[in-house]
Amino acid sequence: MSLNERRVLVTGAASGIGRATSILLSRLGARVICIDLNPTGLKETAALMHGPHHVFRAQDLNQLEAIKEWLPAIADESGKLHGFVHAAGIPAPLPLQAVSPSSWRRVFSVNTEAALTLAQVFEKRRVRVEGSASIVFISSVMAHVGSAASVVYSMSKAALEGMARSLAVELSSKGIRVNCIAPGFVNTPMLARVGDGWDEAQRAGVEALHPLGFGEPDDIANAAAFLLADTARWITGTVLTVDGGYTAQ
Amino acid sequence: MSLYTLITGASSGLGRSIALRLASNRRLILNGRNSGRLRETLANCDNPDQHLVWEYDLNDVENLADALAKLITERGIAIESFVHAAGILKILPVRSATCKTMHEVLNTNLVSAFEVVSLLSKRRVNQQQLRTVLFISSIASQFGAPGFSMYAASKSALDGLMRSLAVELAPGVRVNSILPGGFRTPMTEAILEDPIFEQKLVRDYPLGLGQVEDVVDAVDFLVSERSRWITGQQIVVDGGRSINISI
Repeated sequence: MSLNERRVLVTGAASGIGRATSILLSRLGARVICIDLNPTGLKETAALMHGPHHVFRAQDLNQLEAIKEWLPAIADESGKLHGFVHAAGIPAPLPLQAVSPSSWRRVFSVNTEAALTLAQVFEKRRVRVEGSASIVFISSVMAHVGSAASVVYSMSKAALEGMARSLAVELSSKGIRVNCIAPGFVNTPMLARVGDGWDEAQRAGVEALHPLGFGEPDDIANAAAFLLADTARWITGTVLTVDGGYTAQ
Repeated sequence: MSLYTLITGASSGLGRSIALRLASNRRLILNGRNSGRLRETLANCDNPDQHLVWEYDLNDVENLADALAKLITERGIAIESFVHAAGILKILPVRSATCKTMHEVLNTNLVSAFEVVSLLSKRRVNQQQLRTVLFISSIASQFGAPGFSMYAASKSALDGLMRSLAVELAPGVRVNSILPGGFRTPMTEAILEDPIFEQKLVRDYPLGLGQVEDVVDAVDFLVSERSRWITGQQIVVDGGRSINISI
């Protein structure tokens, strides 16, 4: 599998799944445009990537209107894109009574609305190459199952998957494929934050829910590379669940 | 001890294409009913002298375990991957379907897969070498269509089997299904000859009808270490057919 000569944008590239995806895509020959709020983390990702031609931009995906400015500008400078991976996401471990409009709007803005805005700008001929292109949204098993204090995160990811299905049909005539990856619990800084309050028994309990144990960011990166490359040229509108068997039981 | 990948339905269609792809870096056991066509598959594989041909009709589920155990023991080998690509597609209105036909469909599409995994999970036979199992299911496991009752039932059951095996055999073995939509193989050619049906199919598929290689790419991914944290999943490869209800 190769992504030679492909230009792919990755959000959330400063850590976790976004970082692992950026590194893998660079090894597969892609030129990667790495986006994240955190410039220090982006520098650390840069040091781990293969090849010199990648682009790093600190951007806040909460600023939806700004995407319409910086994304075309990047395409003008670095070349039109073949795809993007929206791996940026923020967790929201909040019980229902702690949920406020401002807390869910922030989560929705980054997890869901930024994905929609990125797709909207990506579709434009100024930004995207002619011919086949691929969009990958990082969803979550929380879009499919329920968990206490997960209401805001779950709804943001479930909306993302609904969006992907309709986009897949709408954009198919332009050769743009749209798919989601739904990871289970992966060893990332986000898991560290969510699991901050867990004791050892709770952590073991959550891991035991995964017949193959916790996942690694590379496991998701490999799935993203598969969906971006021509290997998935006849796959669109699907959710590829990568969860060590979490939702199979 | 040499480790092999067993591919059922390797004498034609998807199974044959899977064999041709995996032959370059794996030792294969090519299963099918027709020895002539199996030899044809073998002749087209890379490293043909590394692979084995196993002629066996999977409809005979009673003797399947014994026959496969004999092959494994006689050759002194073990099986690390199993790809179940054998399948029969009988499209019949339910009023014309018979119990006998239903059994044939279930035997080849479902029971044989169960028998193979059961055998390969026995320590004394396969030395705990099994790592990946991949069933070729169908999007028909998820949706209804006239005449598809037997086929759909067999594929839904195959997916149910897949999920339970995934949980039971973890963490040593990963088990998944691929759910292809309509693509051209000898099995589907007969349906596609009908121009009205073909037109409908093309309209239903946002990315058009598939090619066999589209499905083979997914097989290649799912038997590889790149999917080492994927188990118990139905992977849909259908050009958007199952999410498309546009006119």
